[in-house]
Amino acid sequence: MSHPAAAVLESALRARKLDRTLTTALQPGKGDGLVAPTGATALDAVLHGGLPRGELSEVAGAPSSGRTTLLLQVMAAATHRGEIAALVDTFDRLDLGSIVAAGIDLDRLLWIRGEASSPPDRAIERALKALNLVLQSGGFGVAAIDLADAPSSALSRLPFTTWMRVQRTIEGSETACLIVGPHPIARSAGGVTLSLGGASRWAGDADRSRRIAGLDVTVRVVSPRRRVEGEVAVAAEFA
Amino acid sequence: MFGALYASEGSSTDALVGVAAEFSPRYEVTGPRDVTLDLSGLARLFGSARAIADELQRTAAERGLAVRVAIAGTTTAARLLARGSHHAITVIDPGGEPEALASLPLALLANVTNEHSNVPNVPNDPNVPNDPNVPNDPNGSNELATFRKWGLRTLGDIARLPPDAVAARLGQPGVQLQRLAHGEDLRPLRPAVPEERFERALDLEWPIDGLEPLSFVLGRLMEPLAAHLDRRGRGAAVLHVRLHLVTRAVHERALQLPAPIKDARTLRTLALLDLESHPPAAAIDRVVVAVDPTPARVLQFSLLTRPLPSPEQISTLMARLSALMGEGRCGSPVAVDTWQPGAFAMKPFAPSQPPSPGLRTAAPPHRCAVALRRFRIPVPARVRVEQGRPIRVITDRRGLAGGVGTNSGTGSVARCAGPWRTAGNWWTKGTWERDEWDVTLSDGATYCVFRDRGTDAWFLEGVVD
Repeated sequence: MSHPAAAVLESALRARKLDRTLTTALQPGKGDGLVAPTGATALDAVLHGGLPRGELSEVAGAPSSGRTTLLLQVMAAATHRGEIAALVDTFDRLDLGSIVAAGIDLDRLLWIRGEASSPPDRAIERALKALNLVLQSGGFGVAAIDLADAPSSALSRLPFTTWMRVQRTIEGSETACLIVGPHPIARSAGGVTLSLGGASRWAGDADRSRRIAGLDVTVRVVSPRRRVEGEVAVAAEFA
Repeated sequence: MFGALYASEGSSTDALVGVAAEFSPRYEVTGPRDVTLDLSGLARLFGSARAIADELQRTAAERGLAVRVAIAGTTTAARLLARGSHHAITVIDPGGEPEALASLPLALLANVTNEHSNVPNVPNDPNVPNDPNVPNDPNGSNELATFRKWGLRTLGDIARLPPDAVAARLGQPGVQLQRLAHGEDLRPLRPAVPEERFERALDLEWPIDGLEPLSFVLGRLMEPLAAHLDRRGRGAAVLHVRLHLVTRAVHERALQLPAPIKDARTLRTLALLDLESHPPAAAIDRVVVAVDPTPARVLQFSLLTRPLPSPEQISTLMARLSALMGEGRCGSPVAVDTWQPGAFAMKPFAPSQPPSPGLRTAAPPHRCAVALRRFRIPVPARVRVEQGRPIRVITDRRGLAGGVGTNSGTGSVARCAGPWRTAGNWWTKGTWERDEWDVTLSDGATYCVFRDRGTDAWFLEGVVD
């Protein structure tokens, strides 16, 4: 049990929204006002409803681990709720067929396409500026930046204040910000990190009937301050 | 008290309107040679109605117009008398309209009914002359034709018919024609509203170069323009910025706005963002800002749904994003009618208000669909094929199949499926013909690869993710 004076101090810091310096756990949010459901029932159960709004969350994993699948799932759930979603596609990788298959309302998706041929540093810099513009504009239920193909060297060259600024921008807003990357990048204390591992599921033994049936994704949820740690399996099918 | 001016053939409508505008701000152009005006209050200035009519005719004559003037208690009577009377000036005291109109020919109603939407309309038939002095046949109106068949020739003949009998035989249109024959108005005067220009200009004492000083000038011009729009309940549909340069050239930009906007700051920001992308070639010595007005928006917000950003916010955001990422790289995706892999189009991002939760359709059953990360420019790959199947896929691209920074090492294929042959656009220049494979490499990454049958080269199309 904590000291009464410490409890009073913590509540005073929370009242002034200065509680980010605390090391104690945040209360898990409930309801659409505080979280953005991902649309994957099992994952939402572990996350106590979904991704926290006004926080910076991450999806990290290797190629074919289901990062884009989960990202589109989150966006589909947001547009279905009537919210608008923005995706900063740093290297212009999004596939329209996948967007449609995920069930995203195209009219509610703002797709900001970077240039695949740009040098990575320049593409990332522009994508971050675009993300900042989207977040400052406000009104988006989900805003995501796709850095899955960004070289680790380019990501490591980003100033450490980059993600702090993003966090400050969305603080108190209703936007759930999502970073998709090869590994955890921002490590925000208030958000959650979803570490993915995936394997393609094949069907058919004969040469002529063999095909990819789907993707088996294992999501490991990490969030030191939200007490939402856990692991969940999500199965994705080919449309 | 209303007056009507009927000009002789070949007269200018503008000149006629000019005469009317000198006497009253409330005038209506009822035909190319026909203007009706409200004369209320002019008696204090000119005296009697006869004096007003004299003054109207004198003013018209000064402008080279030969007009017939009629003044009556209703616009219908004034118009009919101006057209049908043989006198240059006709003045009727209020209440005396039916007697004054009684002798006028029936055909005059054909011209008046054109102005009343709920009266049987007479089309502009070339066989129907506008001049009431020429006997004509209003064969476009069934009711008028019926009156003629009954042997009626003047407005007085119609006026004398029992109204209930006219209603029983011809219905409401017949009754309305009879009311017109009495000189009654079926609608009030619709005063012409002069076209208002929403434009501001500023001549600069010294030429300015660069956008920063221009932003102050634009701000100074936009503020009164936005206030003007606000006063008139209008918003800007198109924003025009004309910059007169020191080289005598004119740099002109027109911005189509997605929604009517009357916020000065938003308009200035949009103009500046556009000029950032399309800067003028030289210094500016005159700035003109104009807008095409449109009725302002009326929004009803809902307590039950999350509000969307306003169109002003979205316009500004899109302008900023386009300036940063390039034209056509931001918006909503649109499917296109083709089987070509990866084809899509972009359209402006303009979300509509969501339906209230009660009206929203039920959530679709949860089904997570596998996504593909597509390489817009396919990545060249070296593929080793044995027994018709790829067994090794290597690229020079860092982080991709068999490249540097992957765990697949040699890029050996663990499982594969294919080939699926696709082709299209063989009737145009953008033809494609290829064999597609799905391959999972030893590191677990699954790629879509294809062999271009034209060049026999292999490419990575995307990665399943």
